[in-house]
Amino acid sequence: MSAADPAADWGYLIQEGRIHRSVYTSEALFRREMRNIFARTWVFVGHESEIPAGGDFVTRHLGGRPVIITRDAHGHVHVLFNRCAHRGAKVCREDKGSCKVFVCPYHSWTYDHAGRSVSVPLDYAYDADRESGKFDLLKAPRVSSYRGFIFACLNPEQPGLEDYLAGARQVIDEWLGRYGDGVVEVSGTQRYRIAANWKFVTDNQGDGYHPAYSHRSLLMMAASRYGDKDMQYFAADPDASNMFVKGFRNGHYYLDQRPEMHKVSAWELQRPQPGRERLEQSLPEKYGVDEAKRLLELAVGAGMNLTVFPNLLLIGNQVQLIDPLGVAETDLYWFATTVSNLPDEVNAMRMRTQEDFPMFGEVDDVENFESCQAGLGIPEAEWVDCSRHLNSDREVVEDDGARAPVTSDITMRTFYKEWKRLMSVGD
Amino acid sequence: MTGKKLLQQTPGPSTYVDEDYYRRLYGIAQDWSNPGPPVAPDLHHEITALLHRECRLLDDGRFEEWLDLFQDECVYWIPSDPAPHNPGSTITWEIQDRRRLEDKIARFRTGFAFSQLPPTRTRHCLSNIEIWAVGESELRVRANLTVHTYRKGERGALACMGGYVLQRRDGGGWLIEVKQIILIDADQAQGNISFML
Repeated sequence: MSAADPAADWGYLIQEGRIHRSVYTSEALFRREMRNIFARTWVFVGHESEIPAGGDFVTRHLGGRPVIITRDAHGHVHVLFNRCAHRGAKVCREDKGSCKVFVCPYHSWTYDHAGRSVSVPLDYAYDADRESGKFDLLKAPRVSSYRGFIFACLNPEQPGLEDYLAGARQVIDEWLGRYGDGVVEVSGTQRYRIAANWKFVTDNQGDGYHPAYSHRSLLMMAASRYGDKDMQYFAADPDASNMFVKGFRNGHYYLDQRPEMHKVSAWELQRPQPGRERLEQSLPEKYGVDEAKRLLELAVGAGMNLTVFPNLLLIGNQVQLIDPLGVAETDLYWFATTVSNLPDEVNAMRMRTQEDFPMFGEVDDVENFESCQAGLGIPEAEWVDCSRHLNSDREVVEDDGARAPVTSDITMRTFYKEWKRLMSVGD
Repeated sequence: MTGKKLLQQTPGPSTYVDEDYYRRLYGIAQDWSNPGPPVAPDLHHEITALLHRECRLLDDGRFEEWLDLFQDECVYWIPSDPAPHNPGSTITWEIQDRRRLEDKIARFRTGFAFSQLPPTRTRHCLSNIEIWAVGESELRVRANLTVHTYRKGERGALACMGGYVLQRRDGGGWLIEVKQIILIDADQAQGNISFML
């Protein structure tokens, strides 16, 4: 795409309070995203608890490229291109599992978990020897974990992960800090296929404006059957509350519901989920009243929505991974979490609370994302608005970023500033 | 019971879901591959008729009447993996006690459940039905369940195993305790499955 191409006029596509529709609909821009964003910056690929032992693996995509996330015998994590060095076949065709080596089904070229060639049948007829590296799998040059979250980066020039995370690091620390020494572990995955561009998911993740309207059915059902339960604090004017959003360096942003959700007790605020009464009865008997109270709060969502640019989201107690499959096709992974130092029955309640929002709320979000995608097919209507609180003078600049009222679009503006920076490289 | 009533009703406590009950459900999920001897033809016919009615009420959107086929302590369960797991330690697509199943129906009835506006049209088809007894008062049913769907210009079909646990009702007849729907691709990406399977 040349600079003369109007589609690559970045100043036109990304304006201060609006985004051009082609950012969501252009095949050419999508292909460029897979190169300029997903091959340049740190990308979330999975959680360490998915591959706890040497030999374990999961398969994923890294900006459309099939990859295998492995743990080798020494405990090191690798992100291998799932593409035989020989003719290109996928060497691993399972979603997850454990194995000694990866054997390509085509001609049995065989690799270890670091991607090194282990054997090539009848290799006397090749010029190079196996020590040359020619027979190895290509792999991400940089793989780094931050407290269990595995990131890969195809760009050797990119700064280190901890620096990249910027203000998001503190949010991750607080999210994990609820559990003291407890280790967060993935305990099952829900994966949604969405017929919409991947950025509708990120746009929505920091959107404190939509809950009262998009989730009206959930709020109405909860209010009608249970009174003041679930997210009713979004119903009137959320900007009148102490909830806030914050934009960090490098495109990351954060929405904090804790000032309302955890003001008194998030457990008390939650609509009753299956098993609630039995847990309220058994925990104090086993652990005493105060400890039971503490444990019950850990069965409820964190009240924290974090986006790490471009594709890691924390939402409640879940971890999300965005996998862009095409310009209007996205897989969204929801990893459920248990915690190593919580009693089994508390982790069971975490499962019930975590699956509640996807089926009562997310389904309506997805309906709206797909509807937006269809609407953006109209060429004459060019703009997606993100101007909320752009000029209301309610932003407060802090050390690690700018804080704004919870319905502010500072979240989208933060994201697209980084998007524009990365996309314009190489013009 | 009308939808409006469910929406306006404040449910009582739900006291049957605990670690023991999760173990029971896990056991049930592990047993689908080991059916017992088939029940007598008369009973087979009676149960098949009940389940056909169950499918018809779903297809007609008569969810409140459909709920009447379940006993008070019941479970509606869609795992997120085709292999059996204990729902006490694993996320599911859905596992509802009666209260949360009522919540789901009540949400449809608000008029603002956008994922079901318009609703997914369905045809639930049961085949390969095997029925066996567990003790005196419990039946297990496994069947192939195909749910044909149509919504907003798109036709689709979900291939499932339907597993039912039925309990003998006081005064005759049977009520559903558990309905488990195992999608053939439960571990893969799903589209809009916010309707009733």
